[in-house]
Amino acid sequence: MASVTLNVNGKSVTRGVDARTLLVEFLREHMRLTGTHVGCDTTQCGCCTVHVNGEAMKSCTLLAVAVDGATITTIEGLAKGQDLHPMQAAFREHHGLQCGFCTPGMIMSAVDMVRRKGTDLDDKTIREELEGNICRCTGYHNIVKAIHYGAEAMGKTGTAAE
Amino acid sequence: MAMTMTGEVALSASRETVWVKLNDPAVLKACIPGCETLDKTSDTGFSAVVKLKIGPVSATFKGSVELSDLDPPNGYRISGQGEGGVAGFAKGGATVRLLPPAEGNDGCILSYDVEANVGGKIAQLGARLIDGVAKKTADQFFNNFAEAVKAG
Amino acid sequence: MSGTGIGARVLRKEDFRFITGKGQFTDDVNRYGQAHAVFLRSPHAHAEILGIKLDAARAMPGVIDIFTGDDLAADKIGGLICGWMIHSKDGTPMKAGAHPALAQGKVRYVGDHVAVIIAETQAQARDAMERIVVDYKVLKPGVSMADAVKSGAPVLHEVAPDNTVYNWALGDEAATQAAFAKAAHVTKLDLVNNRLVPNPMEPRAAVGDWDSGQDAFTLYTTSQNPHVARLVLSAFIGIAPEHKLRVIAPDVGGGFGSKIFIYAEETVCVWAAKKIGRPVKWVADRTEAFLSDAHGRDHVTHAEMALDASGKILGLRVKTQANLGAYLSTFSSSVPTYLYAPLLSGQYDIPAIYVEVDGLYTNTAPVDAYRGAGRPEATFVIERMVEVAAREVKQDPAEFRRRNFVRQFPHQTPVIMCYDAGDYDAALTKALEMSDYKNIGARKAESAKKGLLRGIGFSAYIEACGIAPSAAVGSLGAGVGLWESAEVRVNPVGTVEILTGSHSHGQGHETTFAQLVSERLGISIDNVSIVHGDTDKVQMGMGTYGSRSGAVGMSAISKALDKIEAKAKKVAGFVLEASPDDIEFKDGKFSVRGTDKEIDFASVALQAYIAHKFNGQELEPGLKESAFWDPTNFTFPAGVHICELEIDPATGVTRIDRWTAVDDFGNVINPMIVEGQVHGGIAQGVGQALLEGAVYDSSGQLVTASYMDYSMPRAGDLPSYDVGMTQTACPSNPLGIKGCGEAGAIAAPPAVMNAITDAIGHEGIAMPATPLALWRAIQKTAPRAAAE
Ligand code: FES
Ligand code: FES
Repeated sequence: MASVTLNVNGKSVTRGVDARTLLVEFLREHMRLTGTHVGCDTTQCGCCTVHVNGEAMKSCTLLAVAVDGATITTIEGLAKGQDLHPMQAAFREHHGLQCGFCTPGMIMSAVDMVRRKGTDLDDKTIREELEGNICRCTGYHNIVKAIHYGAEAMGKTGTAAE
Repeated sequence: MAMTMTGEVALSASRETVWVKLNDPAVLKACIPGCETLDKTSDTGFSAVVKLKIGPVSATFKGSVELSDLDPPNGYRISGQGEGGVAGFAKGGATVRLLPPAEGNDGCILSYDVEANVGGKIAQLGARLIDGVAKKTADQFFNNFAEAVKAG
Repeated sequence: MSGTGIGARVLRKEDFRFITGKGQFTDDVNRYGQAHAVFLRSPHAHAEILGIKLDAARAMPGVIDIFTGDDLAADKIGGLICGWMIHSKDGTPMKAGAHPALAQGKVRYVGDHVAVIIAETQAQARDAMERIVVDYKVLKPGVSMADAVKSGAPVLHEVAPDNTVYNWALGDEAATQAAFAKAAHVTKLDLVNNRLVPNPMEPRAAVGDWDSGQDAFTLYTTSQNPHVARLVLSAFIGIAPEHKLRVIAPDVGGGFGSKIFIYAEETVCVWAAKKIGRPVKWVADRTEAFLSDAHGRDHVTHAEMALDASGKILGLRVKTQANLGAYLSTFSSSVPTYLYAPLLSGQYDIPAIYVEVDGLYTNTAPVDAYRGAGRPEATFVIERMVEVAAREVKQDPAEFRRRNFVRQFPHQTPVIMCYDAGDYDAALTKALEMSDYKNIGARKAESAKKGLLRGIGFSAYIEACGIAPSAAVGSLGAGVGLWESAEVRVNPVGTVEILTGSHSHGQGHETTFAQLVSERLGISIDNVSIVHGDTDKVQMGMGTYGSRSGAVGMSAISKALDKIEAKAKKVAGFVLEASPDDIEFKDGKFSVRGTDKEIDFASVALQAYIAHKFNGQELEPGLKESAFWDPTNFTFPAGVHICELEIDPATGVTRIDRWTAVDDFGNVINPMIVEGQVHGGIAQGVGQALLEGAVYDSSGQLVTASYMDYSMPRAGDLPSYDVGMTQTACPSNPLGIKGCGEAGAIAAPPAVMNAITDAIGHEGIAMPATPLALWRAIQKTAPRAAAE
């Protein structure tokens, strides 16, 4: 057993967990934050992407103890109450999701992409940057579009600077 | 997944000396990479525990090793098989031949002809790595063995 | 009416929960006191089980129980079934080997289920699994179809000593022979339709629960058709009678066919819940999904096409070997037969066709329906054949197709199907325009200057959707009817709940079905909710696959809405004191013809329930109707896709430059959603053509069992798509819908391969056309482009 303290979506939590507990298991099983999904066992699909101290990371490959003390944002922590984050809104507006399973990871990756690459993203950049996220439903066309407009909206609303 | 490889090493001792070492469980145990135990179960049989790591999968294989086609001091066949639980299975063998040294040299030449087969999770996740690991494992064994021979 | 009716680009109602992480997938379901199951799977492709030692595993911490095939047998739990009977040419029924949920005495593929370990946590169950010792006697496997049919090949099932499930045929052999006898030219081609793994992003999962007080079961499962799952689990496998078994398919993260079937894992979880008296949860990891989800495609085909001197097609002869894997999965037998051969006429008027299909057992995972199911395989054959034939007789591939198009409707093909409506010329003309076909020569020259090979490829596909009518599929061997059900519940305040037997796992039914109600009843889609995926709420249904939810599912809703309208008119008649015949219903208002007396829909709903204006003898109170819809024909979506790509001969890397899709889906409910379906389908089709392939080595190990080795299409591999539409309404359902879910996956592979073979100048390349395969193919022959 190991004690892990994390700040998750603005709340500090401490739990005693099995040392081999992955961050994604900590979030899904101990915090019941089931928006973060598991789509593979080799760190390739990106369904499990969350923000660790502000950077997108795959929570299926991080031990919870390894990020002890970190600040974590999951898909559940992105909207401010009923106000969607501009990237969430863009996914809806541009039909960037079908079954919705890859979507939390896609959105978390997209927000991080804006942090790293700015708010003016062309198709080529977006497609390259999505290397770590797989979607089986949409054929990516509308995801690329959603990220383009979501990034633009983040710039306009000042969300990108946060 | 099956793979094969062949090779030769020049050894500094005579065929007779090498033959004894090839049949000595203590030497074999020291030379088989990852071998944790090797216990004699009969004149030509051993039970073995070997730890193996292939890419993302590491597993402990429990199984048996058998010597056959004994032809002292010219060679034999060593074969083994092990179950690695969820990791799958590994089996394989080597035909080992001891040849007289090249003209003007001492010692002897050991040639080997290995075939190996793995299945289960190691094949599913480590497929691309298996050839490399198998080759490395075989090389390691025969290098260790050459060292053991040198050490007398 | 409001902007939420039929044809409107309405944003999806279901999105909010998914973009905020509030979706409820099966793995998100947790029952009080649940235990966790893991499955011990065979590492061998073919082996006898001589013994299983469980003692050490049972002693591990947290272990609750471990079961094997013997325990299921002792409880008289039946095996998994194949629900579609196929008869061989000689009239004998297909040879279905037993398919126990946990192996009994023998394992037949890597990943086959040997035992289930149930423990307090998944990690403990996995630890215990390490301690199980299985004594296998390894048998020689028959991994490829060629291996399986060799004489002396290892036998998988005693019922099929030659590993052949059936030798099936369709069409008129003599007429086809006669057509070839008078041919001026015969085109011949050998084709492989590569084996695929469906890979919905949500792996399969199940939670079984048992209520000891009522002796009743609940199963949460990743299913495209929970009612069919309940039927099979009850009637055939014998878990519990239907009224004691509730199956819930909550949010499901994609299916593509692979979640139609009833698998071992959910069977075992629901059964084991009673055995241990606690809920049992199982979630597949991705490697398990690769090993044990039903795979798709895997055909080897030889085809010949007879042409007259003008390039008119006279006949088609096809011989296919279809790999069905180690066991017959739920609908596997129908995929390479009735879902395949009847589509081999394509969009063309072909007088004679003869198709032979051998279904074979091999020591590989079961193969069943994957997006398109049989129709992509058929389209690949006919569209590659047509393209190559056009090349051989030196005609433009577009014009060659046009010359052979079906023009009169209805059109009876020689292989069962009767095409009801379409305009194939219109789609081709539009696609040629959108793709700027007339300037392809200039673009090729431009690419050649850069040292690149540019190719263009067509695919004029047709598919049969709806997977109905029941009588028709019944006559072909289906074990079930393929209608759909709907119930419309109008609440006293005028809001509406639609209960449907269709199941949404990404298709957006909560939006499109609500649009239909909005259109018909004149209410906002916000006042409509769609209930699906729960056998306790929806009485019966056949689920979602084969692009059937619009054409069949919505037609059932439409029929129930007809009844609602009729009943509501009667209620309005009492309220407005007029004969129901004089009541008109328009834009959500009931009015008396020729007067200004009117009442809105919500008020009529209230009146139906308070029942003050009529007595119960004249009219039953309430406003709730149900309907079953069974269509009279399949639907026939069709279209033309054009792929234009560039290949770098130095590296073999392909870049798709343009993708043009023109589809005729009949009437469209929500163009945004339809386009999304097209995009996703194309991506899967391009994946098949360029990237994906399940590979077993000769010992039967699946060496593409993770995303490291199985190449999934990623954003960087794909282009944006140019999507256009033409429309001919479907005459066989009230909404004129044809269905759109599979079109892209059906159309895309031959479009890509026709473009690639155009670019490299010969036909010697198979799917997936990976950079290595292409580079080799380019070395083999001097490219046509360079030679010219
Ligand atoms: S679950 Fe983390 S990358 Fe797939
Ligand atoms: S929306 Fe289904 S996987 Fe992306």
